[in-house]
Amino acid sequence: MNNFTLVRKNLTRNKLRLFLNCFAIFIAFLLFGALGAIKNAFDAGVELSADDRLVTVNKINFTQPLPLAYVNKIRTLEGVKDVTWANWFGGYYQEPKNQLMTFAVDPESYFEVYDDVVVDEQELENWKKDRQGILIGERIANARGWKVGDRIPVSSNIFSKHDGSSTWDFNISGIVRPENPQTDTSYTLIHYKYFMETQIWGGDWIGWIPLTTQNPELNEEVSRAVDKMFANSPAETETSTEAQFSKAFVEQMGDIGFIIMSVVMAAFFTILLIVGNSMWQSIKERTSEIAVLKTLGFTAEKVFAMVLAESFLLAALGGILGLGGAWLSIKAITPMTQSILPALVLGHQVFISGLMFIAILGFVTGIVPAWQAMKLNTIEALSRR
Amino acid sequence: MGSLFAQISAVVKMNLLSLPKRVGSSLTTLLAVAIVVTVLLAFMAMGQGFQKTMAGSGSEDVAIMLRGGSAAELNSGLGGDVYTNVSSSPGIAKDENGPIISGELYVVVDGVKKSSQTEANLPLRGIGPAGFSLRKNISLIDGRMFEEGKTEIIVGTSILSQFSGFELGSKMKFGATEWTVVGVFDAGGSVFGSELLTDVRTLQAQFNRGNSYQSIRVRLDGPEAIQKIRDFIESDPRLNLDVMTEQAYYSDQSRDMGRLVYMGWGLAIFMALGALAGALNTMYTSVEAKAVEIATLRAIGFKGISAFFGTLVESLVLAIIGGVLGTLIAFLLFDGISTSTMGGSFTQVVFDFNVSADAFKSGIILAVIIGLVGGFFPAWRASRMPLLKAFSS
Repeated sequence: MNNFTLVRKNLTRNKLRLFLNCFAIFIAFLLFGALGAIKNAFDAGVELSADDRLVTVNKINFTQPLPLAYVNKIRTLEGVKDVTWANWFGGYYQEPKNQLMTFAVDPESYFEVYDDVVVDEQELENWKKDRQGILIGERIANARGWKVGDRIPVSSNIFSKHDGSSTWDFNISGIVRPENPQTDTSYTLIHYKYFMETQIWGGDWIGWIPLTTQNPELNEEVSRAVDKMFANSPAETETSTEAQFSKAFVEQMGDIGFIIMSVVMAAFFTILLIVGNSMWQSIKERTSEIAVLKTLGFTAEKVFAMVLAESFLLAALGGILGLGGAWLSIKAITPMTQSILPALVLGHQVFISGLMFIAILGFVTGIVPAWQAMKLNTIEALSRR
Repeated sequence: MGSLFAQISAVVKMNLLSLPKRVGSSLTTLLAVAIVVTVLLAFMAMGQGFQKTMAGSGSEDVAIMLRGGSAAELNSGLGGDVYTNVSSSPGIAKDENGPIISGELYVVVDGVKKSSQTEANLPLRGIGPAGFSLRKNISLIDGRMFEEGKTEIIVGTSILSQFSGFELGSKMKFGATEWTVVGVFDAGGSVFGSELLTDVRTLQAQFNRGNSYQSIRVRLDGPEAIQKIRDFIESDPRLNLDVMTEQAYYSDQSRDMGRLVYMGWGLAIFMALGALAGALNTMYTSVEAKAVEIATLRAIGFKGISAFFGTLVESLVLAIIGGVLGTLIAFLLFDGISTSTMGGSFTQVVFDFNVSADAFKSGIILAVIIGLVGGFFPAWRASRMPLLKAFSS
């Protein structure tokens, strides 16, 4: 019988208690994993943004338009590498609730700025040639089962065509694939020119201007130069890094990160109470046994280590099951949350911090009982009987 | 029968009086239940607070018209001719100035959120001369009304509380023009308080919108009025409008946030399962700790059922104290907190967390369920405890 057997036997001596504790820990880590993935999905836009990419929007608000002429003016500025532009189409598929994020973009320059996604060369060529072509993100292709060559109707909840209808038919020319699997590809791209010519209001206004700088260190300088160029004009601009822009957008929902962290902390504190109390209880019940172990020649350090090992084992058992459960449930709900939270995956960081929390839980719940067991006075403990 | 009741109350008393002996594990259960109830109530307070703001916004006797299929004001767009055509529809109440109707334009501008110092979307709404009086519970509390044709705005109290830079007298620049805040209005906690209001013609001119609107509001002249307007629109092929009462419009917009309440229940039920494990643990330990007492009582003729109730009541008492504690914490921490989130029209809606009586009830019910289930199985064991085994241990 080695030490591990002894720890295992101690852990399983009261099966009901073991089950209840494991279950409580399981629940805590299930919540931790699932909420951690949700938080990451909200933060994804910030974390995955390219560090040399800026966004220029109307200073009044990003829903206000800018003149198309700004694009070429920005191109001439020093430090600017590539510039493109985009419009919000307000797209949906068949029913308004099936939102289909659709941007009307410039086919020539869009992928110069967004170089973290790739499109097959032949598909890109075909898209550029077909005015009615649409590129769809890999996530959308997977979620809806659409293939290259399909013809799909996309409706707009903002714009309508000259014939009064607000549904456009597009040919799928290709799939936009991400280089990093977490990069969001739940959008579709259509031709800006075709969009402007077919919708009733027409004009040469654009929604926003994404651009890249030659070097991330030039970001601030370039933003200032862009905004200065259009200062005191009817359409003043505001230029920020992609990360700042995404962060401000997420902040608009309210402090989601704070809410999620509070819930996770509350759940952890609850489980800490329950498991800690129960560990303490089970060591108290074993007072005389531990005294016997010590009499048999187990050193105080060894007793300390064994009790701590028991609480670590308990935390690991429930915790790893909980993280596994979270992974399965996130996988199960992904198809349903595709349109709201496209970047919902239980990533490595959540797993790693989960394991860290398991270790912390094991330590915090075990340290006091282990200390007591170590300090236990053999004679006193045995004379209590 | 009387003696059974006496037995039960004696055991209940014994169990409750011995609680301080197991103060550690009893407190654990109590706190665990309290935390679960707090989390549930926090989400309910958030979801219901938002719904209260939205529900307080719509009138039954005001109709709102949007372009067909646009669902939200921001997406809608209506030409000036539509406004002229619709104003002759039956069903619209009239006063000395003719039909009570307001053509409105809704543009999104940036405001700085005090809590995060980040920019957020705020609605700048242009309203017609009848627009202000068409809104329920709205009144100017400081300064004066904006003047037609001038770049002046009045601002809702909710905006003042959550966003900086809109105080009375302050000036701001939207595009090339400067706007001045000339008045402050209170809208009784409704969504209107989260808006900046100005003259619609000025807004059309300053934002190059020609003679276009995004929505039209009218006062209805009776319960059948909305149908009359729908029939009128139906009969005119040039009109493609969705018509609904203001109340229906805003309750529709609050649906997504209403899901927060369900999310709160989901989280609370998960956490309650965890707390239940703790409660069961505590109660089993309590039964074991009292094994000798229970066995003694049984030996002198107490019925098993008295031990059963003794344990069940102990568990219930712990859970209910925990539940009450949880509702108190939630009330003190969250009730009345003001915050803002993105509403259905892509702009910020300021609302207050609201811990309602209904939420209190839900919290206590959840606590009672944890107490009942967490007490039942240990109580069962207590009532079945083999006497010999209890004494021999």
